Amino acid sequence: MENRLTSDHRTDAQVGRAQSSGLRVLLPTVLPAMLVVLGLVLPLFMFEGDQHPSKIGLGPGAWPDAILKGMSFFAALWLAREIWVLGRAGRTTTLSPPDDDLSYSYAKAIGGLVMIVAYGWLLPLTGFALTTAAFIALWCVFGGVRKPLVVIPVSLLGTYALLWVFMGLALMPLSRGVGVFNSFSIALLQLLGIY
Amino acid sequence: MSTIHLLAGGFQAAFQFWPFLTIVTGLLVGVVAGAIPGISFVNAMAMALPFTYVMEPTQSMLFLGGIYVGGVFGGSISAIMINVPGTPASLPATWEGYPMTRQGNVKRALAIAVTASATGGLVSALVLAFLSAPFATFALRFSQPEFFAATLLGLVSVIAIAKDQPLVTMVSLLLGIAVGTVGVDPLYGQARFTFGVPEMESGVRFVVVMIGLFAIGEVVDLLATNRDLRPKKIDGKGLGVSFRDILNVKGAILRGTGLGCMIGVIPGAGATPGAVIAYGVEKQVSKRGKEFGTGVDEGLAAPEAAKNATTGAAMVPLLTLGIPGSAATAIMLAAMMLHGVNPGPLLFIMDPSMVYTIFAAMIIANLLMIVAGIGVAQVFSTLMRTPPAILAAFIVVLSVVGAYGVRNNVFDVYVCLAFGVLGWGMKRIGFPTAPMVLGVILGPLAERYFLTSLANAHQDWTVFFVRPISATILFLALVFVCWSLWPALKPIARRLLGRKERFNV
Repeated sequence: MENRLTSDHRTDAQVGRAQSSGLRVLLPTVLPAMLVVLGLVLPLFMFEGDQHPSKIGLGPGAWPDAILKGMSFFAALWLAREIWVLGRAGRTTTLSPPDDDLSYSYAKAIGGLVMIVAYGWLLPLTGFALTTAAFIALWCVFGGVRKPLVVIPVSLLGTYALLWVFMGLALMPLSRGVGVFNSFSIALLQLLGIY
Repeated sequence: MSTIHLLAGGFQAAFQFWPFLTIVTGLLVGVVAGAIPGISFVNAMAMALPFTYVMEPTQSMLFLGGIYVGGVFGGSISAIMINVPGTPASLPATWEGYPMTRQGNVKRALAIAVTASATGGLVSALVLAFLSAPFATFALRFSQPEFFAATLLGLVSVIAIAKDQPLVTMVSLLLGIAVGTVGVDPLYGQARFTFGVPEMESGVRFVVVMIGLFAIGEVVDLLATNRDLRPKKIDGKGLGVSFRDILNVKGAILRGTGLGCMIGVIPGAGATPGAVIAYGVEKQVSKRGKEFGTGVDEGLAAPEAAKNATTGAAMVPLLTLGIPGSAATAIMLAAMMLHGVNPGPLLFIMDPSMVYTIFAAMIIANLLMIVAGIGVAQVFSTLMRTPPAILAAFIVVLSVVGAYGVRNNVFDVYVCLAFGVLGWGMKRIGFPTAPMVLGVILGPLAERYFLTSLANAHQDWTVFFVRPISATILFLALVFVCWSLWPALKPIARRLLGRKERFNV
């Protein structure tokens, strides 16, 4: 039973790897094909439904239309080259991805991207001060800096320095958040002598 | 009085305590602002404008001039050290400077960059002092078709960075130009590709795209690879570069300086096309052209010299004709107007001491930039010794603030993050991001010049070919494309010719 599980597990891993390598093989062909379609379809969505482009001269749609068609043309040439590459072994694809798959942690990378997007999304809601302090602390922990004596001062002093430079000195209207977070940000900024 | 006498008087005035301190302060502000991605020296100049109310007219120009000179170089510090260009003109510094940093030659890269920048800036300041009049006459002959041709030349120079993938580079460039078309068009005032989102009508700002594509992707890679930013090997004591090394790149510096002076004097062209064209030309001219992209001294020196050479040159139309050719010189014009000074030919007659003090200040600022640049780079070096996770967290925060600061708009933060995710994906599959950024920067300019040229010429397409300067630049662009693509086309041509010969035999 145990052997069977292990064998099943291995099979899943192998299938996963095969699928991933299959994707890698297909990607150079799929990407230019998608760009060809994108260049041909996007001009259809250039103007809002109720808008009518001016008829004087070339009009506002001429330049983007030409650019997108140009992109489609070059993407089609790229696609043709990729199909030519698939035709015979030994030919190399146009794109050359970095050769660091063994040392690259995709889980960490995706985790980092999620954190960055969450930071940007929360910023207008919870305010710059609170979100930034939390983000710096969480990022440090996620990145391997786990000592509280490092993480907490870096996060708090760093946020204070950023607040002082951008809100105090450059007078940038960075977000204070909404509702209770707004009140908290105002109180904090008054306490720090920035307001 | 001769130019030399007037310039000597300018030096005397600039070396007084307060004027000198003003230049140094402006220079430091510029280098720091330029080095922080998203803040940019133009924003720093705009923020400094209110401070100039309390200054004398000449002193205000010295302050803003210092920020301008320092800021144009400052962008290269972050480009070389963390692969994030502080300003668009520093884009080529990421292509050659950052590989040098990864090889452990960060001090060498910075020393070459600051020397080339200072030389370019110094020569252009001298050009400004001695050759303002002929250069201004040359600049006056430029109209919309010439601007379009010059922008097109800047766009096609991207082929030089294509390495072995010109097709993908073209797709990336055109994708960038397409991104630049989002929002209200420059001639008809009609919104495009807004998809019902009102914020999209204001368009996508290139700074936001640049920060997203470069900074976010780099930070995520830093996290995923646990890379140590400290140099792997020590590149010797001192500056990491000898006088002989600088002499070896003198050709690249001179070519970059010449191109920068020519391009900078054209109103609207600016440092970015100057740097990119200089890089492209250097790649073709240099014996090590094939190695470009791996950390070649010439590839770093030429665009660095070119971008700072545009600073003095951009002052030529401002001071001689009162035409600001860039955002930075527009702020300087605003400062002059606020003080009741009207730039133009009369200024040279009415207040020559002010004009020549500005010339002298530009020369001094470029000389001092070597010290300021190395000093700020030392601070950045120290920062690089901090754990990558801490550094990355602050790069993200500064990037987000930089994107927000462009228009004080949270929508720009979302755009920046979207391009960040896209940039990371592009990097992982090996799709080049630099041509896309260049497209977003130069695309809107090209469109505006193209459409206004045609509108002024009653939609006559020949307008680009019948005007001598425009036709010459377009011809140069064509030559440049052929020259750049020749190494890739040569084997195909040889194969085809070979087949033909065999067939004939």
